[in-house]
Amino acid sequence: MPALEIRDVRKTYGSGDQTVVALDRVDLTVDDGELLMLMGPSGSGKTTLLTVVGALLRPDRGAVRVGGDVVTDLRDRDLARFRRERVGFVFQNVNLVPFLTARENLLAVRELGGGRADAGAKRRADMLLEELGLAERAGNLPAQLSGGQQQRVAIGRALMNEPALVLVDEPTSALDSVLGRQVVELLRTEVKKRGIASVVVTHDERIVDLGDRVVEIVDGSIVPPTPIDQGPRDLRGRLLDRLDSLRGRHIESS
Amino acid sequence: MRIAIRELLRRPGRFLPVGRALTPLVVLLIVLGGFLDGLALDSTGGFRAQGERRLWVLADVAELQLARSLVDPDTAAAVSAVEGVVEVGGLGVVTTTASPETTGELIDVAVFGYERAGARLPPPPGAGAAIVDDRLQVRSDVQVGDTIEVGPGRTPVRVTALADDVTQSAPTLWVAPETWREIAADADPGATVPPGAFQSLVVTPSDGADPDVLGGRIDAATTTTQTVDLDGLIAGQPVIAQQTAAFSGIIGVTFVVTLLVVALFFALLTLERLQLYAVLKAVGASSGDLVRGVAVQALGISIGALAAGGLAAAAIVALLPADLPVRLEPRRLAAIAAGTVVTAVIGALLTLRRILAIDPAESIG
Repeated sequence: MPALEIRDVRKTYGSGDQTVVALDRVDLTVDDGELLMLMGPSGSGKTTLLTVVGALLRPDRGAVRVGGDVVTDLRDRDLARFRRERVGFVFQNVNLVPFLTARENLLAVRELGGGRADAGAKRRADMLLEELGLAERAGNLPAQLSGGQQQRVAIGRALMNEPALVLVDEPTSALDSVLGRQVVELLRTEVKKRGIASVVVTHDERIVDLGDRVVEIVDGSIVPPTPIDQGPRDLRGRLLDRLDSLRGRHIESS
Repeated sequence: MRIAIRELLRRPGRFLPVGRALTPLVVLLIVLGGFLDGLALDSTGGFRAQGERRLWVLADVAELQLARSLVDPDTAAAVSAVEGVVEVGGLGVVTTTASPETTGELIDVAVFGYERAGARLPPPPGAGAAIVDDRLQVRSDVQVGDTIEVGPGRTPVRVTALADDVTQSAPTLWVAPETWREIAADADPGATVPPGAFQSLVVTPSDGADPDVLGGRIDAATTTTQTVDLDGLIAGQPVIAQQTAAFSGIIGVTFVVTLLVVALFFALLTLERLQLYAVLKAVGASSGDLVRGVAVQALGISIGALAAGGLAAAAIVALLPADLPVRLEPRRLAAIAAGTVVTAVIGALLTLRRILAIDPAESIG
């Protein structure tokens, strides 16, 4: 069973003449251990898709399955548990809790929903921080960490509850190119090690090659994915060509 | 919840404004409660000196006012014969003036004539002697052995002992029934109490006797009396009821203000924390997690305000003149503490709807 399966998902905003189709009959699967890059111009529906997959929004139609859970069938009161146990989020704005240390930010997700940060949770948090190169920063507040360090803490938080799926929104937007790539490389290492599926929404072509697949979304519709590893051609060059054509299409349509 | 506690401990400054607003409200509640209890206790010391378990038998036409009541010896005999009655003693009171030899000043006093020892009273002294409220010691330096002249006729009584917490709106003197009748006749010649009669009977019930049941039996046996316990007697005094109503009204309004202050603070705080709450919901916090966090913070704030307000109130009360009727009673303080915590938590929970409405999708930039 794929880690993520999206079938015929549609999401609109507004009504009547004001209706905006954010997602239009989207089908997508992501396997365990696969890192998928989701790319597209602004307003293409990338973030909406991430939000629907993460059970932050309900689609108007269609089904989303994450692991064994059909997310679209869950009752409202079960969505929090789903997000806590099955999905890890890495936000564009990082969004660490400012008055919790790095370690406590990881433990916080274990304490939600009546849970306890027991000895096992603390060991896991320490292990993740070690792997993320933050063992000596465990007691620091976010304001005492660099942008890259904060992003790494956010990755640790996303992995803390051993999710089936990690959703990452623009991980490099606030980082320089070197640091941004390092963060995504780290993310890739962590999800691969654990066999976790991951969907990364990004504009940044410099990190696209770190994904197993690139999926393009334009005007709410998925363009068939292009496998990165397809032979001896210059992968980066091919992707840049593809992005140029996308930009051209976006300029034409706008 | 732990997240909320950590915020409270690591960002105390954020909660200082509401703590500062709550502290004087707590001071007000405690001081008001102190005045309420002080006035009530100072108006009922004579009643309470007889003991909490005892029952009071008054003429049913008196509506629990001693001054309007008269119970004759036949009625007393009938009461004594009721099953469950161990002991019956007469008690009467007259308000008049007194002049201690220490100062010569004229003071309003309440003179009680009584037959049985009470919780804070030894058996009645002999003729011409009195057990005296220790307020007179504080006010006029009256000591054991001093003489006080009582009433218009300046009846001399010698102080044989001092008693604590027996004030009945005015300092009290406790004398034998014969001395009381003499003083009462002198103070109000038109309302002489017949020999053997008293304004009320104080009944000692047998162990385990139900006060309501015994009271009913006594009234059925006499057909002319109304029997109540101590609480019933105190509640029946108009001045107590009026004071209690007035102060309780002010205290109630103060609690409402407390609730509104906390509600407003947490409403503003919730607005500030919308993004944080959206993120927490996105990573799996339920609305219940957030609401419990808010409740815990309200609890912490109210406990802090109670500690600071309690100390301030105690200091203020200590600085008040000694003759002001203020008493900080443990039961009242506990009620104020509980009321403050409850109203603070309820005030904080008024943000419930806003918290429930927070959309976790807002966490995605």
